[in-house]
Amino acid sequence: MGSLSGALNIALQSMLAEQGGIEVTSNNIANVNTPGYARQRANFAETDPVRFGNVTLGTGVELQGVSSLRDSILDLRDNQETQQQGQLNAFINGGQQIQALFNEASGTGLQAPLTAFFTSLSQLSASPGDVNVRQGVLTAAQNLANAFNQATNNLTTIQRSTDLSVSQSVGQINSLTTQIAAVNAQVQTATSLGQNAGAFIDQRQQLINKLSNLIDVSQIDAGDGSLTLTTNSGAPLVVGAQSFQLTTQPDSTTGLQHVFSQGTDITSQIASGELAGQLQIRDQEIPSIQSSLDALAYNLGNSVNLQNQAGYDLNGVKGGNLFNIPATAAGSASGIRVATTDPTKIAASGGPAPGSPGDNTNANTLLALQSQTIVNGQTPLNAYSNLVFKIGSDVSNAQSNQQAGSLALQQIQNLQGAVSGVDINEEAANLIRYQNAYQASAQVSSVINSLLQTTLNMVQ
Amino acid sequence: MSIRINPDLLPDLLVSIQQSQQNEAIATQQLASGRSVNQLSDNPAAAAALVSNHDQQAQDDQFLQNNSSLMTRLQSADSTLSNVVQVLTRAVSIGTEGANSTVSAADQQAMAQEVQGLQSQLVGMANSTYQGTYLFSGTAITTQPFTLDPVTNAVTYNGNAGVSSTQLTDGNFVKTNVPGSQLFQSASGDAFGALQNLYTSLMSGNQANIGAAVTQAQNALSQVSIQRVFYGNAMNQVNLAESFLNQDKISLSSQENTLAGADLAETATNLAQAQLANQATLSATGRILSLPTLLDFIK
Repeated sequence: MGSLSGALNIALQSMLAEQGGIEVTSNNIANVNTPGYARQRANFAETDPVRFGNVTLGTGVELQGVSSLRDSILDLRDNQETQQQGQLNAFINGGQQIQALFNEASGTGLQAPLTAFFTSLSQLSASPGDVNVRQGVLTAAQNLANAFNQATNNLTTIQRSTDLSVSQSVGQINSLTTQIAAVNAQVQTATSLGQNAGAFIDQRQQLINKLSNLIDVSQIDAGDGSLTLTTNSGAPLVVGAQSFQLTTQPDSTTGLQHVFSQGTDITSQIASGELAGQLQIRDQEIPSIQSSLDALAYNLGNSVNLQNQAGYDLNGVKGGNLFNIPATAAGSASGIRVATTDPTKIAASGGPAPGSPGDNTNANTLLALQSQTIVNGQTPLNAYSNLVFKIGSDVSNAQSNQQAGSLALQQIQNLQGAVSGVDINEEAANLIRYQNAYQASAQVSSVINSLLQTTLNMVQ
Repeated sequence: MSIRINPDLLPDLLVSIQQSQQNEAIATQQLASGRSVNQLSDNPAAAAALVSNHDQQAQDDQFLQNNSSLMTRLQSADSTLSNVVQVLTRAVSIGTEGANSTVSAADQQAMAQEVQGLQSQLVGMANSTYQGTYLFSGTAITTQPFTLDPVTNAVTYNGNAGVSSTQLTDGNFVKTNVPGSQLFQSASGDAFGALQNLYTSLMSGNQANIGAAVTQAQNALSQVSIQRVFYGNAMNQVNLAESFLNQDKISLSSQENTLAGADLAETATNLAQAQLANQATLSATGRILSLPTLLDFIK
C-alpha cells in the first residue's frame, strides 16, 4: 500500500527534477547567442513502479540526464562547405591582388606600353631619319621593358606575401589541432563515464569548423566519442588525444614554404581550405601568369631583335639587338632590358647605304611584327589579351562558386539552427511548464504535510 | 507538429542587409566611374576585348598623326611641283619666242640670262625641304639633291632612287615620294638639261638648237606634270584613310562604351532599387528583432 511518506518523497523528487529542467532552460537562454552552442534538453523519465499485491504504484519522476541536440551529418556538411569557402576566399583574395596589376579597365596593365612601343615604330616608319622619333622608340622600348619587369616584381611580391600566409595558416592549423586533441580527450572521458559531453562536442565542432576553413579535414568516429581527423589524402591531424603538427620547409630552388606531415611533403595534396587557396595562388596561378608574361617578353624581344638585325641603322651599319633577353623564355619578363641608348642603332633602313635616312623599309617590317603571330601562335596583343581574360575569369569563376557555396552554407547553417538553435519562446514555454510543475509539487508536499499533521494529531 | 525553424533569424537578415548594401556599392561605383567593368573579374571577356579596343584606338591616333604630317609633306611637294610647272612653261615660251628669226642676238642673250635665272630657281625648287629634310632626294633625305655648276650651268643629282612607303591604315601602304632624278632628270624629260641647252643655244643664237631645247623643255614639262599626278593620288589616299580612321575611331569608342560603359539610366534605377531594398530590409530587421517573446508575458 502507498504511504504518505512515499507521496512526500515523490513530490520532493519531482521538485528536484523540475529544478533541473529550470536549470537546463536557464543554461539554454544564457547561451542563446553563444556560437556553436547546441540547445540542451532535460530528459525526464518515470522511476520504476512498486507493486503492493495487485496494486502497482508509480514512484515519481527522475531527471535521467541532459542531452545536446545536434545533427552530426549537418556538422559534417557545414565543415565541408566551409572548406570550399575557405579555399575560394583565399583564392579570390590573391586573385584580386593579381587582377589589379593588369586592370585594363583603368589602363594599368601592359596594353598601354605594348601599344606605345608599336605606335613609336609607326612614327619611326613615318619619319625614319628623325632622331627625336628614334629616341621615342627607345623610350617606348624602355617603358615596355620596365612594365614587364614591374609586373614580374609585383607578381613576386604577391607570391611572397602568399607564402607568408601559407606559414601562418600552418601555424593556425597546428594551434587548432592541439586544442581539438585536448577537447577530444575530454569528450572521450565524459563518454566513458556516461556523462553528457555536449558542451565539449560543441567546442570541438567549433574548432573543427575553424580548422575546415584552413585545410581539408576528413573525420572518422573512433567509437569512444573521440574523432580521428586526417586530411583528405590521409595525413593525420588528430588521433584521440594526440595532435600531429604540420611543418614547413623552404623549397631548395624556389625558397617557397612546402608543407610536411610526418616527414612527407603534402603540399600538392592539400585539396581545400584557405591553405589550398593560398597554394593555388602561389604555386599555380602566379607561375602560370608569369610564364605567359615570360613567353610574351621572350618572343616579342627576340622577334624585334631578329628584325632589327635584318636592317641597317642610321649609320648604314647592320642592326644589332634592341633588347637584351635571357637565353630561354623562363625569366624573360624580369630579365628583359633595352640593349642600347643610342637612337641611331635602330635599324629602320632596309639597305646599307648610309646616306638614306629616309629609308623606312625595315621600320615597316618591325611595325608589322604587331600583327604577326610571334607569341606561341598569337600576335603579341592577342597573347596579352588572352592572359587578361584568364586572370579575370579565374577570379570571376571563383567568385560565382563562392557565392553559390555561401548560399549553400547559409542553408546548412539554417538547418543546423533548426536542430540546435535556442528558441526563446520555446524556452519560455518550458520555463512555465517547469514552474507550474514545481509549484504543484510544492503544493502536494504541503498538503501531505498537513495530512501528516492530521495523522499525528489523531494519535495524541 | 510543424518543422522547427532556425530561431536565430539574424544571420539571414544580415546577409540581406549586406546584399542590398553591396548592390548599392556596385551601382554607386558604376555611376561614379561611368563604367560597368571596373575590375577584370567584372566581365573578363569585355576586359580582354578592351585590350584590343584600346590598342586599336591608339594605333588609329598614331596613323592620324602620321597621316597629317605626311599630308603636309605631300602638299608641300605638290605645290613646289606646281611652281616647277610655271617655271618650265615660262622657259618654253621664252624658247619659242627666241626661236623666232626676227629676234635680235641681243634679245636672245637677254632671254638666255632669264633662262639662267629660271635654271637656278628650278634648282632651288628641286632642293625644297619640308621640316629640314629634302623632298626630292629619294630616301637620302638629308642630302641636298641637286647642285648647279655655276660655270657650265650643269645640274648633278646627289640623291638616290629610293621610294618610301608608309602605312596609312592597318596594312594599307602608300608610296610617299618620287625621287628627284625621276622628276627632273629622267629619260622622258630632263628639265635641267633642257634649260641648260636652251641657255647655251640662246647664247649662241642657233635656231635649230633653240627649237630642240624647247622640245626638251616641253618633254620635261609633261614629265613633271605626269609625276605630279602621283602626289595628287597619294593625297587622295591620305584623305580617304583619314576619313576611314575617324570613322573607325567613332566605332571603336562606341564599342568601348558597349563593352565597359555603364548604362547610366539603368544604373541609377539599380541604385534607387538597392537603396529601397536596403531601407526595407533595415526596417524589417528592426521590427523582427524587437518582436516580443513569450518571456514578455510571464508575470
